[in-house]
Amino acid sequence: MILFDGKTYESSEQDRLLKELEEKIPVILATKKLDPEVVIDAVDKLRIDTISGRFDDLLTEFPKDVAESYKEQAVTLLSPEHLHMKLKTELGDTGEYVTKHIDGFSQIRVKRVPLGVLFHISAGNMDFLPAYSLAEGLLTGNINILKLPSADNGLSLKLIMQLIEYRPELKDFIYVFDTASTDIQGMRKMAELSNAVSVWGSDMAIEAVRGLAPTGVKIIEWGQKLGFCYVSKLAEVPDSISELEGLAKHIATTKQLLCSSCQIIYLDTSDMNEVRAFAQRFLPLLEKAANENATEEIGIRARDTLSAYTRRLKGYLGNEDKSGDVIRGRGVSVIPASDSRLELSPMMCNVLVKPLPRENIGRVLYESRYHLQTAGLICPEEDRKELTDAFIKGGLVRVTKAANMSAYFPGECHDGEYALNRYMRTVNIEE
Amino acid sequence: MKLRRKLFASKDPYDCGKTQLFFDACKENYDYLITHCDDYKKIATGLGIKSSGDIKRVEDLPVIPTMLMKQHDFKSGRYMIMATSSGTSGKMSHVRFEFGALWAALKMSIKVTRYHGILSMRPCRYIVMGYKPHRSNKTAVAKTAYLTTFLAPAISRRFILKHTKDGYQPDFDSIVEALKKYEKGKAPVRFMGFPSYTFFLFKILEERGLAFNLPKGSKIMLGGGWKQFYREAADKETFYKLAKKTLGVEEENIVEFYGAVEHPILYTACPAHHFHVPVYSNIVIRDPDTLEPLELGQTGLVNLISPLCRATPILSIMTDDLGVLHDGSTCPCGVKSPYLEIIGRVAPDDIKTCAAGAADILKGVKV
Repeated sequence: MILFDGKTYESSEQDRLLKELEEKIPVILATKKLDPEVVIDAVDKLRIDTISGRFDDLLTEFPKDVAESYKEQAVTLLSPEHLHMKLKTELGDTGEYVTKHIDGFSQIRVKRVPLGVLFHISAGNMDFLPAYSLAEGLLTGNINILKLPSADNGLSLKLIMQLIEYRPELKDFIYVFDTASTDIQGMRKMAELSNAVSVWGSDMAIEAVRGLAPTGVKIIEWGQKLGFCYVSKLAEVPDSISELEGLAKHIATTKQLLCSSCQIIYLDTSDMNEVRAFAQRFLPLLEKAANENATEEIGIRARDTLSAYTRRLKGYLGNEDKSGDVIRGRGVSVIPASDSRLELSPMMCNVLVKPLPRENIGRVLYESRYHLQTAGLICPEEDRKELTDAFIKGGLVRVTKAANMSAYFPGECHDGEYALNRYMRTVNIEE
Repeated sequence: MKLRRKLFASKDPYDCGKTQLFFDACKENYDYLITHCDDYKKIATGLGIKSSGDIKRVEDLPVIPTMLMKQHDFKSGRYMIMATSSGTSGKMSHVRFEFGALWAALKMSIKVTRYHGILSMRPCRYIVMGYKPHRSNKTAVAKTAYLTTFLAPAISRRFILKHTKDGYQPDFDSIVEALKKYEKGKAPVRFMGFPSYTFFLFKILEERGLAFNLPKGSKIMLGGGWKQFYREAADKETFYKLAKKTLGVEEENIVEFYGAVEHPILYTACPAHHFHVPVYSNIVIRDPDTLEPLELGQTGLVNLISPLCRATPILSIMTDDLGVLHDGSTCPCGVKSPYLEIIGRVAPDDIKTCAAGAADILKGVKV
């Protein structure tokens, strides 16, 4: 299904519609302007209707508690207050201004304008991500071409159509295609129509986009990170049990699938005995958290168990055999390893524990510099600053409490940058 | 592979007295694999099952998920033919068969199909609700569907999925035309293939108000799994009713098969629609959280075990099906072995994770 100009079309009409779009774009750029207030109003209406239960039938495919928590989050995150704050945080509050007079030079007017056309290639690993990415493009006044992820189940399209229903003037700025990722021609055409490509996705997706995008198009990449938790002087941490419980809950609820999820628990030591002892101590906590947060959906539980088991066997096939030390619990495992490399765990509540004395933090982080994002930190208060500094210098962009590694913080940036900022350009006009 | 020969030569395909022979044949297969397949040895060692002495019961055999076989090509020694799974998700597993395995499979097929009255000398017309074999398609589904058209002499064969320049496309109209012709003839008609297409055909016939009364002895044979069909929510009762209504085929003439490329044992439903476990295999249902074996009657992951083949380590494989093993001793059909009920599949593997993507890059970049 394609959404074009507020109307839906069959996927087979893609080529014709893309040609039409090529004609339309210059006209829209020249004659129309999208006020962020229109977007904020449409999103607010969506929020109100969501809260009132108007879209409950769309949410039935999510487990009940997940649907409820989405609705709760919508109350604040989609509110005009939050969106205004987002605009202010991400774009600054200077607005349009004229530079000060300096003798011998002309003054200029400085203002921020949309990039023009944004092509969003969205990933399927987070619900609502396609619609979210599109909303950011709209807030910055861009024309948006959105390629839905193959895993999308129609929810994104419904939400987007709803926005257009609330504020029909949005329709000129929204073009949604369900192009397959294998349709290179189609994707290339979309990239060619755009000023920037915003891509969320796997390494393959990003590589493919780099390959097909014309030189000169701005490529805005998101994703592809590995998170970890760092534990130092646990005995001196006042509420160490609740810190570890928080970490266990984080691992159990994200199933280690997010960029910010904890793959490895690093201990500030070089002693493997300490690593093993910690693993023993952490196992029952993880087991309890996994049990408390397990979905009742047997198909999902079975899939997760099966894929963790498959990863485990794959480990045996490779050369890195960590099997000797693995401590298994019901549906979870803790895997002590003696190296300090930042790597992916088998996920699904199977966490690695490794030694990393604090003097080696810099080296390990440098080795993984392209994939750093979030570190959770459990340490005595007096060490927090020093360790945080070490992480930031090493390239991390989020340092949080262990329990909040994947939490959303209003005002936060993503991978070190504000999205809205990347979707705009600054122009100078001589006065 | 003496014990395999003996096992597959069993006269009664549902003989309950062959448990020990089955277990010994499995250990024989294990001993071969552990010495001929490095990857199998690595996995067995990793799981702590280092010799056949570690195997006290069939549940102890190293279990390899089909999910892994789709990502890793296992080889163990010489083989004659290779089959691939249908690869609905784009990934396929490759299973190789040596002569001994094919021979055992043939003996099994003859015994099982004869037992269920499907092996017949009466010529019939086949409508295959699946692919027409084509050189671009090596899937076992295409091959097995085609092979079943030899269970009774074929007067004609028609395929609902036609290979066109745009890939495989269903062609219901030509099947409707053929049915009009076959209804008037004497030869029984046999349908074979995906339940979903068969069901859609029923629906089309029903919508168009068409009802046929196919010649006596006509059968609907369902294989290729009820894949993705559970979600279409056509329960089996509806299916049987529609078969009667649109084609005039009675419930007892609907024969279901269950099998997997990675476990090429022919499970054929009895008249009570139960997939009894034959002597050639064993089924263990495993806990969806811990993979520990479950009791009869509990739902879990389906682990299929058979010493049929040695050119690929498919001795004990885990499907992504969810099922229950029921006590079969009271089944009216007379077979006493437990029977498998497939409940569904595990949730689709659409977990896309940014973390996993990053690890792939790390491997490539090797900073």
